[in-house]
Amino acid sequence: MPPTHPAVGIGYRWNLDEWTHANLARFDVLEVTLDHCLAGNEALRAAIFDLVGHIPLTAHGIGLSIGTDVPLDLAYLDEIAALLDRLNAPAYSEHLAFTKVPGRDLGNLLPLPKTEAVAESVIAKVHIVQSRISVPFLLENITYVFDWPDSELSDAEFLGLICRETGAGILLDVENLYLNGRNHGFDPHAFLDALPVRTVNEVHLAGGMTLREETLPRPFFADSHSHPVPDAALDLLDYALGRQDPATIVLERDDRLEATDEILADIAHIRARLDRRYGKIHVGAAVGSAA
Amino acid sequence: MSERLLDRQLSLLEYLTSAAGIFGAGDVAAHVAPGIHRGLLHLEARFSHQKRMAKIKGVLSWTFELMGSHRDQIIRDFVESCPPVSISRLDNARQFHDFLSTHWTFQEPEPPCLLDVAACEIAYASVRGSSTPRLEPVRDMAGRGIRRRRNVVMVRCRHDVRAILEGGSGAAEAAERDTPLAISLPHGADHPIVSELSPELFELVEVLDDFFDFEELSELPQVSGLLADLAERGLIEVRL
Repeated sequence: MPPTHPAVGIGYRWNLDEWTHANLARFDVLEVTLDHCLAGNEALRAAIFDLVGHIPLTAHGIGLSIGTDVPLDLAYLDEIAALLDRLNAPAYSEHLAFTKVPGRDLGNLLPLPKTEAVAESVIAKVHIVQSRISVPFLLENITYVFDWPDSELSDAEFLGLICRETGAGILLDVENLYLNGRNHGFDPHAFLDALPVRTVNEVHLAGGMTLREETLPRPFFADSHSHPVPDAALDLLDYALGRQDPATIVLERDDRLEATDEILADIAHIRARLDRRYGKIHVGAAVGSAA
Repeated sequence: MSERLLDRQLSLLEYLTSAAGIFGAGDVAAHVAPGIHRGLLHLEARFSHQKRMAKIKGVLSWTFELMGSHRDQIIRDFVESCPPVSISRLDNARQFHDFLSTHWTFQEPEPPCLLDVAACEIAYASVRGSSTPRLEPVRDMAGRGIRRRRNVVMVRCRHDVRAILEGGSGAAEAAERDTPLAISLPHGADHPIVSELSPELFELVEVLDDFFDFEELSELPQVSGLLADLAERGLIEVRL
């Protein structure tokens, strides 16, 4: 089957609730962060549930911490499973990372040592996740500030090994890949070449910022979700679409939310790239691909 | 034998959430994560800390204003004694408020109204996030009664801080006086409503966790007027 035009949308943010509703027709899909539903207040939950039936929703998680070396929190997973059903989400994505240990929750994604032993441990957990949810499970590549010195596998090898052994799909964060390439000195195209064909189900895009500090060995490119998507990341998206056929592309924005014109411009840029590749379609025509 | 992954993760997070990791004091990074550039670990710690403090400040904005020149030291002390345990902004703000309460246990807070302002800001955030059912009295087979609405938070302040919260006054103008407040978000309102109650009424509303037959209050003078007033302000639910 020929590749289909991916649905394009944004991550739903409570602070932009009114604006999102006013601009709903501009998006094919919204991504809901399930942990905002779980940890958020009643009003936020109600606002998210109100979206069901009005626009397709995809489901993303930030609280599973699949890489923490302790058994998975099954009660949390069951809550996730119930939310997935309620949102009628086509898939559930999480980060290949860890964020917490017993007694501490950093609230930020940290990398895992990329070894076969750690991959085996994650593989076992992915199987558990898959056994408790009713939709495909996707793993996302993260951006990282540092890497563990005992990592033996490349980013693509580590992610590819886990996905191959479990059948999990991939949420390809193009901005993360772009930033990691710049921060850690590798070619992001090689990462994309190493991923098996048609394993990417969803894509994230965002825009970050550059930090220059005395304590750092070189300028650091931070995934701040605060600025327009750089052209270089859109070029990488183009390159990825040569071998991948994602159902959705989601723009993530968490800072400088008042710059909504930038959000709409990013969406227009993404659509322009897709139109060039797949041919022009009208906004909303791809909705079915995400439902 | 190599160190267990969990042990490495534990010591890394302990470092990243510590004052040493966040503020760059000491030189323990080499022991915690050998082979990882210290500047990068410090950056990671700072990123996470800034994210957490942004959540807390988002809830406690006036409290942060009032801390003034003490703020940096208070935040540092907070970091040292309260590692993050949740990603929720309200949980983190509550943790900070609890820390402030402990911090000022044996001396007067600076400014004196600081804890009252923090308590009210926590209450604001709580009611903003709660659902706001309509006010009509409910007819129910389970029997008649009254109870406090679920989205009402009771705060007993030692200072009248309402002018500060409304943005029109500094800490110096917060008069020291017992100020029993009920904070609510009535149906359709954009902003929380703050009602000052008499001490007696405050105590009554505070204990109304479950439905209470208002016939038992009939000995109180002007009870029907009182109940109508509380219902009008959206503080109680009435079951007829």
